[in-house]
Parts: sequence; structure tokens; C-alpha cells
Amino acid sequence: MGRPLVHRSPMPGLGLSMGITLTMLSLVVLLPIGALLLKGASYGIEGIWETVNRERVWAALFLSFRLSLFAAVFNLIFGVLLAWVLVRYRFPGRRILDASVDLPFALPTAVAGIALTALYAPNGAFGSLAASIGWKIAYSQWGILLALVFVGLPFVTRTVQPVVEEIEREVEEASATLGATRLHTLRHVIAPMLAPAALTGFALALARAVGEYGSVIFIAGNIPLVTEIAPLLIVIQLEEFNYDAAAAIGIAMLLISFAMLLVINLIQVWSRRRIGYV
Amino acid sequence: MSDIAQVRFRSATEETPLARRALIAVAVLGLGILVAAPLIVVFAEALAQGWAAAVASLGNRDALSAIRLTLTIAGISVPLTAGFGIAAAWFITKFDFRGKAFLITLIDLPFSVSPVVAGLCIVLMFGTNSLVGGWLVASGYPIVFALPGIVLATMFVTFPFVARELIPVMIEQGRAEEEAALTLGASGWRVFWTVTLPNIRWALLYGVLLCNARAMGEFGAVAVVSGKIRGQTATMPITIEMFYNEYLSVAAFSLAAVLTLLALVTLLLKTALEIRHADQLAALHP
Repeated sequence: MGRPLVHRSPMPGLGLSMGITLTMLSLVVLLPIGALLLKGASYGIEGIWETVNRERVWAALFLSFRLSLFAAVFNLIFGVLLAWVLVRYRFPGRRILDASVDLPFALPTAVAGIALTALYAPNGAFGSLAASIGWKIAYSQWGILLALVFVGLPFVTRTVQPVVEEIEREVEEASATLGATRLHTLRHVIAPMLAPAALTGFALALARAVGEYGSVIFIAGNIPLVTEIAPLLIVIQLEEFNYDAAAAIGIAMLLISFAMLLVINLIQVWSRRRIGYV
Repeated sequence: MSDIAQVRFRSATEETPLARRALIAVAVLGLGILVAAPLIVVFAEALAQGWAAAVASLGNRDALSAIRLTLTIAGISVPLTAGFGIAAAWFITKFDFRGKAFLITLIDLPFSVSPVVAGLCIVLMFGTNSLVGGWLVASGYPIVFALPGIVLATMFVTFPFVARELIPVMIEQGRAEEEAALTLGASGWRVFWTVTLPNIRWALLYGVLLCNARAMGEFGAVAVVSGKIRGQTATMPITIEMFYNEYLSVAAFSLAAVLTLLALVTLLLKTALEIRHADQLAALHP
């Protein structure tokens, strides 16, 4: 190889910074993940399949990924809308609205879980309203969806906002002078520019929702086959000291998440190439 | 004449006033229901039986030990994660080496791993039936169901926070200032303390704030590795769950209110940083 592994540099601290980085990364992240993969390898693909291929596990995995997808789609639409409103419009309370978008990042998930449950339980403020029209939110799949929407709320807004700020008005003006209606401009000029950033936010919200545990378990009701999410199933297996089953479900979740992120990355590359906007 | 003066023209690059108002209304309503309402409920439930009951519940032995434990964990894990973030950002931005993109992907990995799976990984690595864990327990240093395990789990989930904030800022600032200091004869550490650190301090503070909020509030990973031993390994979020499951509503929500206040202070500081030091944080939002 002609290229050296590390280029020579007059900067000091190569050994120290590289040492700290690689040591801590290995100790905190890589070795533990390696332990999980090693555990999986020790009883092979068939062993994993045997554990995962049970009705209760399939139901939990399907529920987790399906509701996460719905929540991420909702956040995609609402997040783009929010980013647009926050950047383009001036109205009283905009700063507070802007800051409040980040609350789901800062609020501990357990706190969000009990607060949402208190609100949407049949005797809660919103829950009793919904109950009067026969709509059960907490302790049903609606409750899980709500919690997943909450934790994924900031991602799309925060990735799209800077892109909206960058859009040059001239582009919109050009579109308008060529006779496009406002709606036409939004759809054919603005939307393609926002698409890659929105997709990034969508992927982040999806990944977050799939793994979410704290806020969901309070509001879900946790009935096997109906409202039991995949991370909860892992915790249940661990509490029964059933490490093999827990590891198998954990590996299945990791694989499905990585596959989804890969697909989204490919879509992103494709949309960037098609639209020619980076 | 006056008729003409009253006509208001709408710019071609704006929505109609009606559409504009409708969009603002949807945004305000959506955030009101999703974010403001849960916030209000936390405080309303905490104060359901008055201030005295709420404050008294925080004086409970379990609540106090949970607060102490959470502060200890944040006190250990946040500086370590910040130290890692600085070292990683220095390594990545000041040197050219092969596999840089791969290294950044690895650092970001914890974002796409469920906290529960993170906890599971640490249990499998350091639990009593693992090779390393068995030996550590035998020599009297248990990791899982003890403080070190909770610190490790917390570090796993907060690992990318500081590095992610610092890397774009340090790329933006380049190496010229450090190189100038070096040619003038400054030592490596002197360059770091007097040139680099002042340049990145607000981004560093920003990352530490986010990292701290997450560290104090982490639930899933800690629930798996802590064993939830009352008075010993139950952090604030775990204790909130215990109180809640025991129908101690005021106690659960009072403890939750303390964490909510912390979240609000974090957001306030973060917003203040974004307004006052927008220039230095600009690189964070490419």
C-alpha cells in the first residue's frame, strides 16, 4: 500500500488521543457488542431462529417495527411542517415553541412514560375525553404509538430546520415568475430540497422508536401478543435469567434495525443522485 | 384612491394568510398536546396533595438514596464521556488516517442500538456467567448489579454526545491556529489549553449538557444492568418506576418533577447558548 495508515503531522498528541479513543471505544461499546455477537455465534443461526420463531417473539418484533414505522411517518410529516413554521413565520411565542421541540430529548423517558399515562389513562385529562367516544388510548397500541411519536418528535425538525434556513428565495421567485402556483412550487421545488434531510431525520426517529423502552412500558399495558414490545421481551427473558433467549432476540433486533438503516441510506443516496442536491 | 392604497399584495414566495395561520395553529396545537400537556401533568400530579406532601416524599430514604446515586453516576460518567469526546475529536480532526469514516460510524453506533440491548451486551460481557465477569466477581469486583455496571451502561448510551458536537466545530476551525502556536514554540498541552479549548468551550458545554441530561435520565439500559436493588442500585428513573408501580403517585411524580426541572434548565441553558454563541455553534447545523 502506498498510502500510510496515519499521515505524518506536526500536531502533538497522536498517541494519547488515539489511545484514549480506541481504548474507551473498545471497552464501552465494541467489546460489549462483541460479547452479544459471540453469544449469538455460539449457538448459531439455527439456535437464534429457534428462539425467535415463536408466536410471542414474532408478535413483539412485528409490533415494535410496525408502530415505530407509523410513528416515524407521523414525525416526518409533522416535523417538516414544524421546521417550516419555525423558520418561515414570525409569531409571538416562536422561541418557546422552538425550544420546546427539544423537550423529548431532555426529558427522561420514564418521566415521559408516567406523564403520558396519567394524561391518557381512562381517568386522565385526555383519556377520559377519548373514553367518552369509546376510544381507548393508554393500555392499547394507540398508547404505544403516542409514546413513540413523543420520543421521536425532535429528529426530523432538527435535521430539516437548517435546510429550510438555507433555501434561497430566488429559487422560489423563479418558480413563481414561471407561472407556478405556490402549492406547485412547494411540491416540485421545495420538497425535493428537503427530502434528503427529512429522510435522515426519519431514519433517526425510526431507530430511536424501535429501541425505545422507558416511555412505552408504562403506557402499553404489556399484554403478550397484543401490546408487548420487543425490548420488553428481552427484559423479561433477562429477569428469568434466560440469557440465551435474550441474546437471540437482541441480535434479531440489531439485524433488523441495521437492515432498515441500510435501506434508508440507499434511498437517501438514490434521492440525492436523482435530485442532484447535496 | 384610498381603495388602491388598501390593497395588500402578497409576495409570490409566501403562503396565503389563511394557510399560514392554519399551519401555525397545527404546530402550536400539536406541540401543546404532545409536549406541553405532559409537562404540566408532571407538576400537577406531584402537587396533587399540596407542596408539603411533595417535599416530604422527596425526603423519603429511597428517594434520597436514588438522588445520591444518580448524581454519583452522572459525576463519574459525564467527565469520562467528555474526556473521550475531546480525545476522539482531536484524533479525528487533527490527523489524517485511513478508516476515519468507519471510526465515526463506530462512535455513532450507540445511537442505533436499543438501550435495552446495550444493557444486555454489558450483562453478557461482565455478568457472573461470563468469563471476565466471573473472574471479576470472584476477586470481589462485581460489575453487573453494581455501580460500575450502571456507569458503563450510562456511558454506552451517552457515548457519542460530546464527540458529535465537537467534531464539526473542530473541522470548521481547522488546524491553522494550533500550527501557528506550535511554530511559536508552545508545547502540545499549552496549545490545547490556550488555543483549542477556548475555541471549542461552548460546543463542549453544549455537548456536556445534553450528555448530562441523558445520563441522569437513562432508564432502559440501567434497568437491565442495575438489578433494581432498592437503596443500592436504584437510580432516580428506576425509583420513579418503583414508586409508580406501588401506586405512590405523589412520590413518583415529585421525583419526576425534579428530573423535569433539570430537563427544563438544560433546555434553557441550551437555548441561551444557541442565541449567545451562535457563531461558534454554527458548524453544528451544517
